[in-house]
Amino acid sequence: MRDAFANFLRLPGAGAALSLIGILAFFVIFGSVDLVQLMGAASWVNFAANLGIVAIPVGLLMIAGELDISIGAMIPAGSMTVAIVSGHYELPIIFGMIAALGLGVIVGTINGLLTIRTTVPSLIITLGTLVAMQGIVLTASKVLTGAASVAVTAPEWAKVIFGSLLGASHQVIIVWWVIIAVIFWFVVHKQRFGNWLFAMGGDRDSARNAGIPVDRMTITLFILSATAATFVGMCQAILFNSAQVSGGMGIIFNVIVSVVVGGTLLTGGFGSVIGIFVGTLTFAIVNQGIYFTQIDRNWSNLIIGATLLIAVGMNESFRSLAMSMVARPKKPA
Amino acid sequence: MSSDANTSHDLVGMLGKLIRRPEFGTLIGTVVVYVFFAYLGGKIFLGAPGWSAFLTMAAEVGIIALPVGLLMIAGELDISVGAVVPAAALTTALVSGHYDLPTWYGVFAGLAVGVMVGFINGQLVTRTSIPSLIITIGTMFGAMGLTLGFTVMIAGSTGVFMTPDPSAKALLGSSINFMFRATIFWWIGFAAIVYYFLHISPWGNWVFALGGDRESARNAGIPVSRVTVGLYMLSGFAAAFVGVSQVLTFGSAQVAAGQAFIFNSIMCAVIGGVLLTGGSGSVIGIVLGTLTFAIVNQGIFFSGIDPNYGSIIIGALLLIAVMSNDTFRALALSYATKKKEG
Repeated sequence: MRDAFANFLRLPGAGAALSLIGILAFFVIFGSVDLVQLMGAASWVNFAANLGIVAIPVGLLMIAGELDISIGAMIPAGSMTVAIVSGHYELPIIFGMIAALGLGVIVGTINGLLTIRTTVPSLIITLGTLVAMQGIVLTASKVLTGAASVAVTAPEWAKVIFGSLLGASHQVIIVWWVIIAVIFWFVVHKQRFGNWLFAMGGDRDSARNAGIPVDRMTITLFILSATAATFVGMCQAILFNSAQVSGGMGIIFNVIVSVVVGGTLLTGGFGSVIGIFVGTLTFAIVNQGIYFTQIDRNWSNLIIGATLLIAVGMNESFRSLAMSMVARPKKPA
Repeated sequence: MSSDANTSHDLVGMLGKLIRRPEFGTLIGTVVVYVFFAYLGGKIFLGAPGWSAFLTMAAEVGIIALPVGLLMIAGELDISVGAVVPAAALTTALVSGHYDLPTWYGVFAGLAVGVMVGFINGQLVTRTSIPSLIITIGTMFGAMGLTLGFTVMIAGSTGVFMTPDPSAKALLGSSINFMFRATIFWWIGFAAIVYYFLHISPWGNWVFALGGDRESARNAGIPVSRVTVGLYMLSGFAAAFVGVSQVLTFGSAQVAAGQAFIFNSIMCAVIGGVLLTGGSGSVIGIVLGTLTFAIVNQGIFFSGIDPNYGSIIIGALLLIAVMSNDTFRALALSYATKKKEG
């Protein structure tokens, strides 16, 4: 019993699961929320999917001990690229999609190269690419199209795959989120890649000495996060038939909060894909679920802040608890 | 011959000394950027309008960038400043505008909010092992939620108006010739105080020691927790000061304002040569970094270039700044080592 409990707590996702339950309980008790209605609602699932696709690779970067905040500019960059290439210049949608994803690969490579070649922390490097990309997107849309909003009409097949609604209001991107999460779960927790990842976050130099291609891994991870961001932007442009330059800085903090609530250690070496997935769900329910409660939605940010601090504190104490529980049986021997 | 060698040696020594100063790269950056925009912007940028534009911006960001830079030198981050600015502004507006109490009550209440948020940040950072980035993101969301919630609850809208007393307005919200706002002089004053604190008083060494190695600093008898809490209270105070001065200048406060300060203050400090990982940086560097940032940000409007290019330049500048600081530091360290060997 105690072992089973300890095993559960030792999972990086344990804190996230408890946070999710805690938030639902809070909403039921203090907001008298209708859980059936909440579970049937699309708004928070859509929100979670758009956030979650970016949160997983950003979380993996965090496990590896790095941070990527340029995603805040890459989501609008992705949607703008699709809209400019396929909307303004009327090229086939496939070119727009390739351009958007290609842009993600390029920016991710730049982030990765700068991170491994210098001693500058990746927070600062990606802050630089964030600001630069914001300027580039704004300038490109203004110089090339003359407007801050560009329309794009995708053909039927692209709409169905990337930008349709399932049922009445669930975006198809939810399916993508689940698929991407499963793939990442398999790669991180069942493949060599995952062990390398955790080794890098634990101790980069030891990892390098053990023969792990640390530099290649870092660049790959940055490419994944930037491309995931442009992918989300691309899907949004195809769904809404237009792209705006207004990119919210808010998404940066939303992603970081989701990842951290999901039990990922900012300093690296600890975390899981399932945890990040559940953390994103938790954040989305706090952010969007509040509309289904009787709580005034103006307080939602306060609840997010409290959730973050409580969840992180919980994760922290679980980790030390789990560690001590592992250590104890060894002592008598 | 030997005297020649000596002179050149002295010159090299002086050059080495200059390059080794953390703010050397930043100074070059500031000069280059100013000359660039002076060339494009001409007389208007060189004259009072140009100076007023970038100094006004520099003062607001700069007042926050000073303590944020100190925190970064000590190895910590403060994201919550972005929420403290509107929180303090609305507190002042609610106390002195909505409830019609004397302006000074509002000013003190606003500043107290900032100091309190800073105190909470400091306590959470020193008492837990959670990174300060995460903690201050949490308090940022918390402060944002409280500001919005209370403002709507009390005033019924997301903006509050107030008419400040003439004395308070003169001190915090006035401007000379409608151009140079009082905050510019406050910024200079704060910079001087922080300069004294960091570079002349013995406490400055504590801050550097904290950023270098926290454990060793503690073992050396430095009150690590007290210094950290103090620095967070300082950054909370500075952010609140900017918020209060905004509400006294414009006579109104909005809930959604201040997010830009988060990354702008970090960028100013980094352009100014502050190491995010702690242990290195200087007040002159932070001030120069802030000036550089503001010159690009405002100079672009005088230059005839599309303003959107501004953020490309700032992003590039940031990357160049960190790269060159990186190189300069490596150069400086290698130079110092070489000297020892010889």
